[in-house]
Amino acid sequence: MTTLLVLLLLAVGVYCVAVLEAWITSGRFRLAAPAYSAMALLGRESNIPRKPDLLFFEVGPVVLLVATLLAAAVIPLSPDLIITDLATGALFLNAALAYVLVALIMAGWGPNGAYAMIGGWRFLGQLVAYAMLIVMPITAVAMRAESLATTDIVVSQAGLWNIVYQPLGFILFFVAAMGLAFLPPFDLPTAKGELAGGVEAEYSGVRLAVFRLGRMVLVITLAAATVTFYLGGWQGPWFAPWLWSAIKILLVTAVMLLIGRYVPRIREAHLLAWCWKLGIPLALLNIFMVGILLVVIP
Amino acid sequence: MITGQSIFIGFFGVAAVWFGIVVFRTFSMVRSAIALLFSQTALGAMFLTMQAEFLGVLQIMMMATEMSIMAFFMVMFMMDPGGMGKMEMTHQKRLSLIVGLVSFVGAVAIAIFIDWGPVATTVADTAQQTKALGLELLGRSMLVFEMAGVTILTAMIAATSVAIQPLPLSAIKHKKDRV
Amino acid sequence: MSVELVWALITGAALFGVGIYGALSQTNLVMIMMGVELILAGALINLVAFWRYLHPDAMSGQMFVLIVMTVMALEMAVGFGVAIARFRSKGSVEMEEAAELKE
Repeated sequence: MTTLLVLLLLAVGVYCVAVLEAWITSGRFRLAAPAYSAMALLGRESNIPRKPDLLFFEVGPVVLLVATLLAAAVIPLSPDLIITDLATGALFLNAALAYVLVALIMAGWGPNGAYAMIGGWRFLGQLVAYAMLIVMPITAVAMRAESLATTDIVVSQAGLWNIVYQPLGFILFFVAAMGLAFLPPFDLPTAKGELAGGVEAEYSGVRLAVFRLGRMVLVITLAAATVTFYLGGWQGPWFAPWLWSAIKILLVTAVMLLIGRYVPRIREAHLLAWCWKLGIPLALLNIFMVGILLVVIP
Repeated sequence: MITGQSIFIGFFGVAAVWFGIVVFRTFSMVRSAIALLFSQTALGAMFLTMQAEFLGVLQIMMMATEMSIMAFFMVMFMMDPGGMGKMEMTHQKRLSLIVGLVSFVGAVAIAIFIDWGPVATTVADTAQQTKALGLELLGRSMLVFEMAGVTILTAMIAATSVAIQPLPLSAIKHKKDRV
Repeated sequence: MSVELVWALITGAALFGVGIYGALSQTNLVMIMMGVELILAGALINLVAFWRYLHPDAMSGQMFVLIVMTVMALEMAVGFGVAIARFRSKGSVEMEEAAELKE
């Protein structure tokens, strides 16, 4: 029962993300736009490129959708509205999101096209850059909560939200989450101008619909993870807990989508240099500072 | 006694071995790497079935990234990554088959014919397991943990220094003139 | 003597056998490393099975598994570094062509 309710809320959230993305990129707020474009996509013919690796071509978008749904299964929307409350929830979120990489590599290699393949390998290069920047802030958050379960992490923020307690970790995790969801400015895998659409280029019809749906579930799952780890989850004064979760998640998604309009696309070499030379020492400093704070403040 | 746990262990075990065999039977190199990835994922699922939750999740997470990087290296270094040419890339096939079979039969004989003693039926709750593992890591096995950390650092420095490209002589001369 | 323990050990033995076949029969360095990964995976499943069914309260079993996983990642990293160096100097990583020290 809770599973169905969470999936329903997730579907509503994905629809809102689609409306937000259309509003931000085109400037017009049309509530029925995602429904129309979904129907159009499902009705179009699906071209299959010449000599694809059929196994990877078909399976890639499905793995993306499955991986992101598994990652959304450990997000708590309210104290009892969570699909599965694993004891190692934060780590499981990371493990499920690692399969986004597998999905994009399959989707890149499958269609037997140069642009798609380059897009897939570029996602691997970007993940090498920000993989540590996702795991280390989660470590600092789990240090404060003294547990890896996501509900414990939210409960531990009852006094002070983690965004105030560990602002450095929040910035690093936010940037790395934008990179994992290949949103602009980290959207080299599906670069619209440079790679002619990259990984999305060779897909059309039903498979493109599944790919885009998987991507939106990925964006909303990463926003939900940011809210769970840093913004206090369901905590708030007057409304119901799940309503607070929904408001916070949509706000974080809007910020993630808005930043892309104002920052130029970052080259992969620069991203790797910045993340490894600046980001990882900052993440280690974050862990060190959280450790000191935990010992000093009783 | 056939319990749910034994059915799942059997299913994931067969999946792991089947994907492992596919690694060496297929002609496409990227399929080989992704098959190894799914073999390790089935292994991680077996860990989860045996209620070692932290280890299972860790295995699944690490192997996804590692095997994807291995797929990338295969595309870089191998002659026919798409498998369209159907090349035969093995040597001493009979010898390795015999050695593989002998080791398999020996290990299975040891597994079946030794009396392993009383089998424990209850395991601690997963939250308690994670906490106990953490206490063990930083308590009794602190020396092993520290050595693992130093080994990781050494391996990182070694791998980077072996793989980094040396500067060509013209660039070094140019740098010295600028100083 | 439980069915699950024996079945997990048989799986470990099968992975070990397939890994040894791969490590001995392949000519390319990357494929040999995949064989070694399978060997270590077989050892891992044996370790976890022994921990779970014989001594579930001794956490040093899980500690051993963590160390083996660490070593798997490290030998892959160093092995690929060596492969890059070899590829730069010779243009291929085939084992059949790596017989310079033989005479």
